[in-house]
Amino acid sequence: MNYVFHFNVVWEHWRDLAEGAWFTIRLSALAVAMGLPIATACAYAKAAAPGPLRWAVTAYVEVIRNTPFLVQVFIIYFSLPALGIRIEANQAALAAMAVNFGAYGTEILRSGVEAIPHSQVDAARALGFSRLQVFRYVVLFQALKVVYPALASQFILLMLASSIVSAISAVELTAITNSMQSTTFRPFEFYFVAMGLYLAIALAFRVALGGLYWVVFARKRPA
Amino acid sequence: MTKPLKKLALLAIASMLFATTSAVAENTLERILKEKKIRIAIDVANPPFGVLDKGGQPDGSDVAVARQLAKDLGAEVEFVQVPSTGRIPALLAGRADVTIASISVTADRAKAVMYCNPNGALTITIFGPQSVNIKVPADLVGKRIGITRATLEEATVPKMAPPGTNIVWFDDLASTVQALLSGQVDAVAMTGFAEKTVSDANPGKKIENKLLVTTAFYAPIVRPGDFELRQWINTWIFLNTKNGTLASIYKKYTGLDLPVLPTF
Repeated sequence: MNYVFHFNVVWEHWRDLAEGAWFTIRLSALAVAMGLPIATACAYAKAAAPGPLRWAVTAYVEVIRNTPFLVQVFIIYFSLPALGIRIEANQAALAAMAVNFGAYGTEILRSGVEAIPHSQVDAARALGFSRLQVFRYVVLFQALKVVYPALASQFILLMLASSIVSAISAVELTAITNSMQSTTFRPFEFYFVAMGLYLAIALAFRVALGGLYWVVFARKRPA
Repeated sequence: MTKPLKKLALLAIASMLFATTSAVAENTLERILKEKKIRIAIDVANPPFGVLDKGGQPDGSDVAVARQLAKDLGAEVEFVQVPSTGRIPALLAGRADVTIASISVTADRAKAVMYCNPNGALTITIFGPQSVNIKVPADLVGKRIGITRATLEEATVPKMAPPGTNIVWFDDLASTVQALLSGQVDAVAMTGFAEKTVSDANPGKKIENKLLVTTAFYAPIVRPGDFELRQWINTWIFLNTKNGTLASIYKKYTGLDLPVLPTF
């Protein structure tokens, strides 16, 4: 088959694509900003909370990690209204992504918490720190440092998975791309460019997260 | 690269070039007749044109037309199920030889694919629950109207809706319907037939017709340059208009009489 590529159609719509890409960036960053506190709280609960709370956290983590993201998005957007909770598409997308990152982040952080030698916890307890203080001042920072690469990868995965939320009419990069290709009938050109944009966003995030690691952790290495 | 390897690579490239040129020489219709197999793209999320029956098999007026067409062509039909957004890409990517998925004829689409003669007609309407007040287009201002990408409503509703209408895009009809039923949008734009299916299936929602957006004819599409296949399909449409097959399929699935089909 002989197909002639017309990339100039894409450049005519670069402003829409840029808007979509910018929304994808903001959506992912916000979702992580909301998901990380969830993950931290849940990781603490898994390490130190009483039974029932720990079970609840385990249930949350297992349900989210063992069900498709698309189904989670549909439940928040299409099923919650039946219970009287109606969230607009962009907020529903953000909520689904934050909840999703929270669950994966919990498991990642938990492994970091377990990597901290228990003697440190015992020593801090002996000095009169409460459980929360031990977690806050002794465990958390070190655990974050250990699992930072895994968290960064999870962040990139979440950003890529955000393409799914176009299904509930959130207007991120994939949604814009779908609209553009369906009105211009240039699917290959638009999907290629979208692929390039996702790649660029992912690489930019990797560089930025690497820089953040250096600022937060690497410089504070004990002498 | 060593010399024998280089020779081998050149030979491989030459044979690949030869293979492509010989493939181009055969047109799509010839290939279908030779292989006795035609790949037809259908959208099974678009009642009553394309649906899945209780056994999970494709059904609907488009599917019935596709089956009859393949039978008269003497070819086995292989259905390529696509969402509404995939109807044209699947064809252009060569995944299907023809798309029969109630694609209404528009000038914009005709820049990308070749239409055969129309084989049916449809209306696009805006509908929603009784409680939503839409009587004239001006009432759309401030309302959330769900439409599906790559459909006739996407091409027409944004043009007729006044500024201030909040148009919400979905990727497939099922999601658009779900958005209406869950109250995420105030009303949706779809074919009049889809409206009937949705309102019949959800009597509790009291869904009623609000506005007529447009009426249109729809037709099978083929890849640009597939004139032989297009001509065969046009001949088939002519014959089956005359013998009443198209009318009886249309009546069976839509409950309506087939309007007089124009040709071009």
